[in-house]
Amino acid sequence: MRAPIKPIPPKPSQYGIDPSLVKTRIADLPGMTSVSLKELFPDLPEVIFPGENGLAKVRQAAEEALMKVDMSMIKPEHSVNVLASHHGFTLLGGEPYAELLKAIKDVIEKRTGCRDIRLRAGVGMRFRETEEYIKRYGLDTYYDGKAIGIAPVDQGIPIETEIGTLYGIKKVYDADWIVHAHHSDVREVHFHRQVDKAVKPFGMSYARIETRSTYHQNLGPRGANFVARAIFDSEFVQKKFAFAAFLNIAPNGVVGVDVDNDLYALNDRVTFTGCQYYGKIMTLFGEIDECIAALDFPCPVPYVFSAGVIYANFTGANTDLYDLDAPLPPYTWYTEAFYGKRGKPLLKDIPPVNPAIKMCVHNYAWTGYPSAFFAEQIPTVVVGQEQAELFNRDPLNLNYMDYATVIKSTEAAMNFAYRATGTRKVIIFDGAMGGINVSEPLAELLTRKAPAVSERVDNELLPKWLRQRGVDMSVLKRGA
Amino acid sequence: MKLVTLLAQVDTDKCKGCRTCERVCPVLAIKVVDRKAVVDPERCRGCANCEQRCPDYAVTMIKRDEPLQVGVDVHEVNYDEVVALCAKAKLHPEQRICYCVGTRADEVAAAIIKGARTPEEVSLVTGARTGCTIECIQPILRLLEAAGCELKPPEGGWQWYGRTATAWDLPEAVKQKYSSRGFYFEEDRAVLDKLVEEGIKGGDA
Repeated sequence: MRAPIKPIPPKPSQYGIDPSLVKTRIADLPGMTSVSLKELFPDLPEVIFPGENGLAKVRQAAEEALMKVDMSMIKPEHSVNVLASHHGFTLLGGEPYAELLKAIKDVIEKRTGCRDIRLRAGVGMRFRETEEYIKRYGLDTYYDGKAIGIAPVDQGIPIETEIGTLYGIKKVYDADWIVHAHHSDVREVHFHRQVDKAVKPFGMSYARIETRSTYHQNLGPRGANFVARAIFDSEFVQKKFAFAAFLNIAPNGVVGVDVDNDLYALNDRVTFTGCQYYGKIMTLFGEIDECIAALDFPCPVPYVFSAGVIYANFTGANTDLYDLDAPLPPYTWYTEAFYGKRGKPLLKDIPPVNPAIKMCVHNYAWTGYPSAFFAEQIPTVVVGQEQAELFNRDPLNLNYMDYATVIKSTEAAMNFAYRATGTRKVIIFDGAMGGINVSEPLAELLTRKAPAVSERVDNELLPKWLRQRGVDMSVLKRGA
Repeated sequence: MKLVTLLAQVDTDKCKGCRTCERVCPVLAIKVVDRKAVVDPERCRGCANCEQRCPDYAVTMIKRDEPLQVGVDVHEVNYDEVVALCAKAKLHPEQRICYCVGTRADEVAAAIIKGARTPEEVSLVTGARTGCTIECIQPILRLLEAAGCELKPPEGGWQWYGRTATAWDLPEAVKQKYSSRGFYFEEDRAVLDKLVEEGIKGGDA
């Protein structure tokens, strides 16, 4: 058995406990090992990060891709807003995304002579999160003091769309041109269902509360992401859109950088790789019969990562999240909304939260996202009173600790979980790069099941997923 | 129902009176008076929007000495009226509309029946939209509109701008144009219709 991979370290943030309070990482406990993703699925692509000179290779890939895209619309006297989102900074330690943002500024300056280039970094629900990243990665200095975090409660701007007026954040659009700087990581498959994933920030991190509420409350679980397309297709946005620059991500790392003036062409490529690469990991996770899920990553509860899959998606791994014939995943906000007062679903065909998760050990995860549903549905132990107190003070999580219990140390929490559940299978959501940190029995199960999963995804599931989304298999041939 | 445990506190040395806090407060609990922000502790519902958006870091959230319980008892109004109002807004009465506070549609409907006429008044009496303050604005607006309330945003504020499209009023041309791209508009509307039907029938499925 191979040694565990070093987890992503805790980060200082107003949304998490002080890193010094994270005394023990789950991966350091006895019986833990790691599985290489490339060994599980040999057809995963080669990556440039992590690896030797990884960051320099990301920089080189970004520069090369940015040199090929049309920037002729940007004149020296113009202003440009480079639009970023918090998600990118949670990927693989955050440095690759920060490097892409730096490269975008440099190449625009070099190719166009434009000097008024600003960074506008959107958020989810933690309104100061990207302010923290801007400081951590030196982006304020790099962007000559023109880097700011933006939030969905900031001043808005109405945008006329095919479905009526929607609302964007004014500071997103206060330049002559916008550049959409994002990534192909799938993250919230339960929300976007891998439909127009590349467009999503226009309906979310660049959007006002009215638009985001339309997504999560008004349109339904599979029509939701249309708000992003409606805004992006509007005359207002089309007049400002210059190009998109994406970190091309697979579960095992950064594959390259994809830049295009045509966001929908890029979107088709993102849909393909999102279904193919991540679909295999998620389908494999669905084969896990029983386990303890250990959260150990600097992100809110649902967003902690294992093999590029977030915990929220693992809670739905008992179903096929990519299958659009199934309306409601075990967890999404529409599903959460549809649980009645007696704790039962209000519709008969709502699937249960992944019954393979026998217990959740919350060793380290942040506040800033409503997470009570997870503790309500899955027996949860939180390590340390300080972490419990942080949740009790979070306006988004006042009820989380109503359902979870506190245990003083990581070791005691895991021992309790072993005894209470009777399983020794542990999956760790700690952002390990290139592999998965798991316990030895789970490593054995994943290794044994992977070949059949790979075959089923290639031959049966992937063609169906792409057909449902109207994506032609030939998109990769047209890829950048 | 919400147990309000936090309270915004302004450091007047840092406050420059920019009014950002005023514009983002979902219950109008903070106002700039004589160029300094002042919090009304009876109205503050502890959402922390002012603390999170203050450009001068002049606001902190402190623990209240005495937590404040807010909420509307749905049994104090005619529940048939609650069900009817929810159905008109295309919501199930037991549907959770505020994911942070856990507020359900029936409590918001009851608040409206008892006299709340704006999203700010709804948030003040129920605590809904005082967590993330993002996701539940549309169902609140839908319920207010269904009750015949005029939707008029706070003047000069950024609290909210307007009601938007729902699954029931998407243009036919849009549905036809994009249905082959993975947007299951009609199927989703059927799911939501089924939910509304269950709400009218009453009880869990």
